[in-house]
Amino acid sequence: MSLAELAAFVCTQLRKHGIVAVLSGGGCVSVHTANRYQSLDLDFVENVPTGRKRIKQALSEIGFVEKDRYFLHADTEFIIEFPAGPLAVGGEPVREIEEIEFPTGRLALLSPTDCVKDRLAAFYHWNDRQCLEQALLVTEAKKIDLNEVRRWSAAENKSAEFQAIRGELVKAARKKSPSG
Amino acid sequence: MMLGPILGAANKERVLLYVLVRKEGYAREISRFFKTDLAPVQKQLERLENGGVLYSRSAGRTRLYGLNPRYPFLRELRALLDKAFAFYPAEERERLSMMRMRPRRKGKPL
Repeated sequence: MSLAELAAFVCTQLRKHGIVAVLSGGGCVSVHTANRYQSLDLDFVENVPTGRKRIKQALSEIGFVEKDRYFLHADTEFIIEFPAGPLAVGGEPVREIEEIEFPTGRLALLSPTDCVKDRLAAFYHWNDRQCLEQALLVTEAKKIDLNEVRRWSAAENKSAEFQAIRGELVKAARKKSPSG
Repeated sequence: MMLGPILGAANKERVLLYVLVRKEGYAREISRFFKTDLAPVQKQLERLENGGVLYSRSAGRTRLYGLNPRYPFLRELRALLDKAFAFYPAEERERLSMMRMRPRRKGKPL
């Protein structure tokens, strides 16, 4: 099972238990870039916390076991984590959730533009160049609203940082395949 | 404690004020500063990190904590803590704000 298929399976299982969780972080990059960026982490964020007990119950039914705040499965290397909510990109709430249907279930994840913001937040605040590379990969793979990214960067007080990488984002957007 | 009714635990306010003013801190240092037990400070640090309010990083054998710049309510939390800090007695504020930043040679007697 690929990361995306597993994420969809998990997301659907959680939904059956009334838990609405959205794939974020590196796993979201993997899905949007068709695995050009490979991640082993499935970070699901709940907008409204339902409690650890319910999550544990839902995931135990499909064989995941909790260990040190992570959920592991004997048959897969992928690790599930539930970073603290609310679902946000920087200081702003996420307004639109994307949903993709897979044979294993329906996956809720950040839209490509929000995924880019999420990665840029990590780049802006931690100076993590890997996260910038991930943002560029998503920009190459999917249609990104760069004006929205610029507006959001300004709201995060990161206009200068956005200007410094704008050229790289524009270049990545131009590389996009016709299907992107 | 200024934010007791909101935050509940006194050590939560202590931890948050400490990292607000000093940018980063570790459990033993914070508990010593406030002359309180180590375990409840550690507990609050852990809880705040799990909640995404604080980040932590290791520096040698020490785990340093600071306000998580990616916490969605950081701006508002800072404003609240800044205001609460302004209500603290002057000597308490000065004690927390005064920190030796310049280097100190190992073994220096004074």
